[in-house]
Amino acid sequence: MIAAVREFANRFLGRGEATITVPSFDGALKPNQKLESATTLLECEAPEDLATDGRNLYVADGRRLLRLDGSAATELRSFEQPISALCALADGGIAVALGGREVRLYADPTSGEPSVRFSDAAFNAINALTPAGDGTLIATDGSATCGVDDWARDLMELNRNGRVFRLDPKTGSVKPLASKLGYAFGACARGDGVLVSESWRHRLVLVADGRTPQTVLGHLPVYPSRLSKAAGGGYWLTAFTARTQLVEFVLREPAYRRRMMAEIDPAYWVAPRLRSGFSFKEPMQGAHIKTMGVIKPWAPPRSYGLVIRLSEDGKPLYSLHSRVDGVNHGVVAALELGSDLVLIAKGPGRVLKLPLAGLAEETGS
Amino acid sequence: MRDTLTSLRYRYWPDHLLGEILSKRWTETAIPVILLLIVGFALSRSIDHFLSPASLADTARQAGEIGFIGLGMALVVIVGGIDLSVGSIFALTDFCALYLLDVLNWPVPAVVVATLACGALLGAVNGVLIGYLRLRAFITTLITLIIYRSAFDLLIQRYSNSIAAAFPDIPSWNFIGGGDVFGIPSVALVYVAIAIFGHIFMTRLRPGWHITAIGGSRRSAYNSGIPVRRTIALCYVASGVLTSIAALFFAARLGTVGGDIGVGLEVIVLTATVLGGITLGGGKGSVAKSLVGVLIVLLITNGLTTLNARGGINRMALAGILLVAAMVDIRWQKNRTRIISKVYVAPTYHALPPPPATEIGQGGPFEQNDKLRDVELIGLGRIEAPEDVILDRNNNLYAGSRHGDIMRFFAPDYQRMEVFAHIGGQPLGMAFDRQDNLYVCIGGMGLYRIKPDGTVEKATDETNRSMHSVNDDSRLRLADDLDITDDGLIFFSEATVRYEMDEWPIDGLEARGNGRIICYDTKTGATHTALRGLKFPNGICVASDGQSILFAETFGCSIKRLWFAGPKKGQVEVVMDNLPGYPDNINLASDGNYWLALVGMRSPSLDLAWKMPGFRRRMAKRVPVDEWLFPNINTGCVVKFNEQGKILESFWDLRGENHPMITSMREHRGYLYLGGIMNNRIGRYKLENADPNFVQYDKRWGKLS
Repeated sequence: MIAAVREFANRFLGRGEATITVPSFDGALKPNQKLESATTLLECEAPEDLATDGRNLYVADGRRLLRLDGSAATELRSFEQPISALCALADGGIAVALGGREVRLYADPTSGEPSVRFSDAAFNAINALTPAGDGTLIATDGSATCGVDDWARDLMELNRNGRVFRLDPKTGSVKPLASKLGYAFGACARGDGVLVSESWRHRLVLVADGRTPQTVLGHLPVYPSRLSKAAGGGYWLTAFTARTQLVEFVLREPAYRRRMMAEIDPAYWVAPRLRSGFSFKEPMQGAHIKTMGVIKPWAPPRSYGLVIRLSEDGKPLYSLHSRVDGVNHGVVAALELGSDLVLIAKGPGRVLKLPLAGLAEETGS
Repeated sequence: MRDTLTSLRYRYWPDHLLGEILSKRWTETAIPVILLLIVGFALSRSIDHFLSPASLADTARQAGEIGFIGLGMALVVIVGGIDLSVGSIFALTDFCALYLLDVLNWPVPAVVVATLACGALLGAVNGVLIGYLRLRAFITTLITLIIYRSAFDLLIQRYSNSIAAAFPDIPSWNFIGGGDVFGIPSVALVYVAIAIFGHIFMTRLRPGWHITAIGGSRRSAYNSGIPVRRTIALCYVASGVLTSIAALFFAARLGTVGGDIGVGLEVIVLTATVLGGITLGGGKGSVAKSLVGVLIVLLITNGLTTLNARGGINRMALAGILLVAAMVDIRWQKNRTRIISKVYVAPTYHALPPPPATEIGQGGPFEQNDKLRDVELIGLGRIEAPEDVILDRNNNLYAGSRHGDIMRFFAPDYQRMEVFAHIGGQPLGMAFDRQDNLYVCIGGMGLYRIKPDGTVEKATDETNRSMHSVNDDSRLRLADDLDITDDGLIFFSEATVRYEMDEWPIDGLEARGNGRIICYDTKTGATHTALRGLKFPNGICVASDGQSILFAETFGCSIKRLWFAGPKKGQVEVVMDNLPGYPDNINLASDGNYWLALVGMRSPSLDLAWKMPGFRRRMAKRVPVDEWLFPNINTGCVVKFNEQGKILESFWDLRGENHPMITSMREHRGYLYLGGIMNNRIGRYKLENADPNFVQYDKRWGKLS
């Protein structure tokens, strides 16, 4: 009763849960345009995920699995469904998630038949795979109702049914580790647990067997996505898009959201996107007005590019940005390969490379 | 169904009035007046004969006396101070009057003059200490309260008996005390006279404005050259004099010098002042507020006395009221602008059908193309915000700039640029008249005329005030575009009467018909409003029939026609509606058709929001303006349409990189010149098959060029 009254008061006064404030890009998240200076290795239709066994770089592009040598791409194989997650295994094998509903393991990227196949009925939107270290595989599933590419609807429906699974290739068993997450998107093993990006709650949580998820890094101004280990300890955390006050406001406006989802083409929703500025039918906000021929980089981002370097304990050290006036938006995967950071900017459909040397000094605060 | 209900609710319930009424200065007086009416009504129901003439006359007599002190207090509070010594001054001047009359037997006129002088002197002590020596008003008047009270106590010990023994029977003195004219007590008459003068003094005369200015900000007043010290000192003198007037009437009415005269008077008067709405912080207040406050306090104290409340309760009630009033006053002053800004924005229901297709491959007149991609740029980086452009017969190009200038680019290459005229406000629409005068709409200023030699003259900046508007809409806020008829009538649009030019997005958020079309007669100089209730009227163009104008309603996404002459005079007809974008300026094309600029394009998310006023109202309150859902004005196009409202052709710049925004276009000798209010450039586009000799206003006025 009291909670109901409080919620009503909050909604009326715009307090508590009803506030639409978004943390600012501050401290280690201070904006720069570093991602705009990255070298484009490959432009392709639908890059989705990256994987490496330390020597080879694999790229999932729609249904195709590519190997990238420098900027030369070799198509290794192609699937009947789009690849939604990719992961290299310690034994030189590879794991792929297809259409979010099936996970297959191959002993070798080119081998014909999968060694193991997981197609649990619970799978709906598997969007990241990562080895747990003990021979098992961790998979994050964003939503129980919306498909992999329909994440904007999942956000707009305020769904909180993301899950994390442990897949055991030896036994073929699938075990849920966590559920009711606000869009689980990306994981990385840490100690005996797994760091998981919980996009709709703008945080990174530590998931472990039999424990409730603990917040490791919260109050992010962005929606976090896939994670990878950094060579010097710590992690690379990508953010596929950023939060805006308008979207936060719309999330608190059920009537508008309902009608928007029913009446408007999803491309023109008031919702975060991986790319923006391609049609005048997209919602425009005040600061987006081109003044004297210039779009302001500080305007509220409909799409954004961001990679955050995290320390071992999950604290941001520095970050690489592509701001509103940039192109390399929608960064969904990042991993270290040799002396470079390789990224996928899904917005423009690019695989990017950024030399690591000097990055920390240049962008650190 | 739901949409119908919403639409009816917003059509008939005037949401926008609340904010407009609250932002009126008189609401601050209206609240005490309502309180007064409530108190008066309540007391008249609970007390018999409360409204009888005798009772009213008695109330008026007391009100007059306290009213004078209230005026003095109001003056001192408005100048930023406070006068706690009024009770003691009242007692001393009361003693002074009776002593001179009863003991020294002075004649009445001399007594009056001497008492007023005594009051002035006592006030002057406060004035010198506070005004010139700059002591704190509170502590100073507290001290003089004690000193004057002690002096009074000493004096009455000596003279009270001789005063009490005297019973002067002088007609003029008795008239002061108890006389009336047609039943109105003398004191009330004098009060009315002084109050009227006080009102004129405070609102219309220079010293009154000085007083308000000092109370508002002493430092700023000093910096503007106002004699701060002297003015403050004189306010305390005036307070003393006004208190002594009250004392004179009191002395004449009762003729006693009891020890408790004037005790606690400062609390009564202060309560009245604050209750009337005169802010203790200074700088705000009026005679009316003072009067209302006095009446409320008097009614309450008299009512309580009649209801046999004890003196203690009476005073406690007053103190309680003072506390509450001061609290309300402080909260109100602090939050007034916030409250107004929260309730002023009042979005309304605005439904548009789905727009016609614009996508490539969908066909239709609005199908996008890249014709404008390679327009030549004039003045890139040198001109800012050319909303409209115009060319004269020598091919020189004129454009406004956000610095308040009309810039002139010289033919043939438009490299050389000069300030043709400086006006000071943002120039918007432009047109040449028959004598080559350039008429310009200036946002925030009105309609201006620039002679060929560059001299600037104001044509008009006001129109008739409408009867049903709460806001004073006689001043022009956002004159936007214009055209001139053959008879010398200038029709120009005023986009909104509720917001300033830089607040146009808020008007878009409201989507109410806040705009109007105004007509200025160049022959008589008279201005009148021709049409109102339009959704951001913008471009204006006299149609080729010479009897009507075409005008664009930007947020209405339509073009309409208004007949100003002929058989259909006064009628309005839709020419085109449900445009896919927001129409801006309209101009004549060389082939007799019309050019129309679409400054921006509709987006489905805003179209939906326009159907949901509550959503927009909450957005206005919770989301900062920079993050609001805006009309998209980054992409636009130019279209050509004919008299029947058929789109003939459209010109786009798909990515908007070369010329991002188009608010106007002007055809001139085979080229189309493009303006944009957020641009730092002017575009020039070569037209196919256009009349190479077309000069819009030369053709218009039948001149050869």
